[in-house]
Amino acid sequence: MKSRPSILISSAAIAATAVVFLIPFAFIVLMAFKDRQQSSLRDFSWPAGFHLWDNVVQVIATRNWMLVTAFVNSAILTVASVTLLVIFAAMVGFVLARRKTRFNGLIEFLILAGLMIPPAVVPTIWLLQGLGLFGKLHGLVLIEVAYGLSFSVLLYRAFISTIPRELDEAAIIDGARPLDVFFRVILPLLWPVTVTNIVVQSVAIFNDFTNPLYYLPGNGNATVQLTLYNFQSQFNTSYNLLFTNILLITIPPLLVFLFFNRQIVAGVTAGAVKG
Amino acid sequence: MAGLELKQLHKSYGGVEVIKGVDISIDHGEFVVFVGPSGCGKSTLLRMIAGLEEISGGELSIGSRVVNAVEPRDRGIAMVFQSYALYPHMTVYENMGFSLKLAKTPKDVRDAKVREAARILQMEHLLERKPAQLSGGQRQRVAIGRAIVRQPEVFLFDEPLSNLDAALRVDMRMELSKLHQDLGATMIYVTHDQVEAMTLADKIVVLDAGKVQQIGAPIELYQRPANLFVAGFIGSPKMNLLSATVDAIGPNTVAVSGKGVERVEVPADTTGLQPGDQITLGIRPQALVLRDQGSLVGQVVLVERLGSETNVSVNLSSGVNFLAVLDGDKTLQPGQQVSFGFEPQDAIAFDPSGRARHL
Repeated sequence: MKSRPSILISSAAIAATAVVFLIPFAFIVLMAFKDRQQSSLRDFSWPAGFHLWDNVVQVIATRNWMLVTAFVNSAILTVASVTLLVIFAAMVGFVLARRKTRFNGLIEFLILAGLMIPPAVVPTIWLLQGLGLFGKLHGLVLIEVAYGLSFSVLLYRAFISTIPRELDEAAIIDGARPLDVFFRVILPLLWPVTVTNIVVQSVAIFNDFTNPLYYLPGNGNATVQLTLYNFQSQFNTSYNLLFTNILLITIPPLLVFLFFNRQIVAGVTAGAVKG
Repeated sequence: MAGLELKQLHKSYGGVEVIKGVDISIDHGEFVVFVGPSGCGKSTLLRMIAGLEEISGGELSIGSRVVNAVEPRDRGIAMVFQSYALYPHMTVYENMGFSLKLAKTPKDVRDAKVREAARILQMEHLLERKPAQLSGGQRQRVAIGRAIVRQPEVFLFDEPLSNLDAALRVDMRMELSKLHQDLGATMIYVTHDQVEAMTLADKIVVLDAGKVQQIGAPIELYQRPANLFVAGFIGSPKMNLLSATVDAIGPNTVAVSGKGVERVEVPADTTGLQPGDQITLGIRPQALVLRDQGSLVGQVVLVERLGSETNVSVNLSSGVNFLAVLDGDKTLQPGQQVSFGFEPQDAIAFDPSGRARHL
């Protein structure tokens, strides 16, 4: 039996969380239902008519179906970046946790530096131009991988050091080559961290606004977050369309999270290394 | 058919030498046990044979092939780890078939081999389970099964029973012994448990501080330990070691006495010994009997009555403690003066360098 005060505190916490997370979302949904006139009031009122469908059609068709292009670009960007991040970060974490050399300290410092030092935009653009990657989607994939790698490596390394070394050795005696050890034995055991990485990094990359803005100019290259600026300008902002756009581009990360939420719980309770 | 030949094997980590020149020769089909205290290098030696540790010096041959630079997978060995090291994400079937899968063995051959190994170990009903759903003993079986499937020339066991409870350990020990008879493969087994060593081994290798102290059949090590270390390590309770002085030398005997030790003539190889030398007398606790006018006189400190035998801890007048294991139930009281005797041929004389002077 839980005590009365703890129930009260839990209820209060849940209520507070609801206010913080659900009310802004409700505001977005309500705005997406309004017409242009009512939305420009920007108040928390009930929509006067049902304009959602009109808004959606208009948002998607704007600027030669830019939102569709943006979704394709963002999907490619997110999937490619997260895939590379998971594989590379797990590999780096594996090597760092397993092979002790005198360079480990330096490597760990560089990884921390990657977390702490802010990215320098102009030199990066200059470098990308030199490599012929500026304004290319695969160039941005590499940027996202580089920016996300430190965090993912830290997550993986801590977890890999809890996997007993004897497991690697058993695999080596069973005839596994280094890549077999990694892909067939270690990587499957990393599933709980991999899920965490996928969720955190895909939400971050999908929602990234600044990096695509700097490194991926051009209408054909737009990502979803950049489409928000279609409906905002200095003198004229269509709030109903802006919020419809927000609603549309919030759905995919929400689905990712809802889907993986179950996986996270399953992964954590199964325990990676037990047995 | 594969025996092993270890020639002057050395291993050092940085400047620290942990294996200091080990020579062992193992015949095909032998069950060899490495024993020694913690940190004596027995596990390191096993890992060197497995190929998990690089060999710093010397030569290791399996069969007639020098394998110093051969990858573990090509050495014809299989290893069972103390922690079992089963792959948690695979079923028992996949765990056992993993090596064959890596070797790209056809699926039907693989299936047959896994099922055959499961049959030998009587665990066909466990094949679809994950390691987490198994008990300790079952996991151990899977680990052994994984080794059998590889059909290795040499099985390596690294303290495989130390994670099991006492009753299960006895069962598994007998099963391992039976497995060895059935498979006829060479087995090398590392343990610190001398009961395992004595019961399983054809040949025991006693290691201390990275050096071989003695190699021999279990009973030979018990009856004729080569030096003080082996004498103290093999046998339970430990052999009593009492210091004494050589009084006189006869043909193949030495007469010795010491504080609390009456003069006694012990058979020994007397080469190089002189009256006045300090030697050590080793007597098994089981060799001592209560006897009036015995050569060891002291005061009872502690009595443990086990019914079938009685363990008596005695303090000699020199302050040295020793232990006697007496047959049957003896009612002795702490503080009581007792005297013990022993048959001279049950005592072993160790010279000042610690070497046993067996005849």
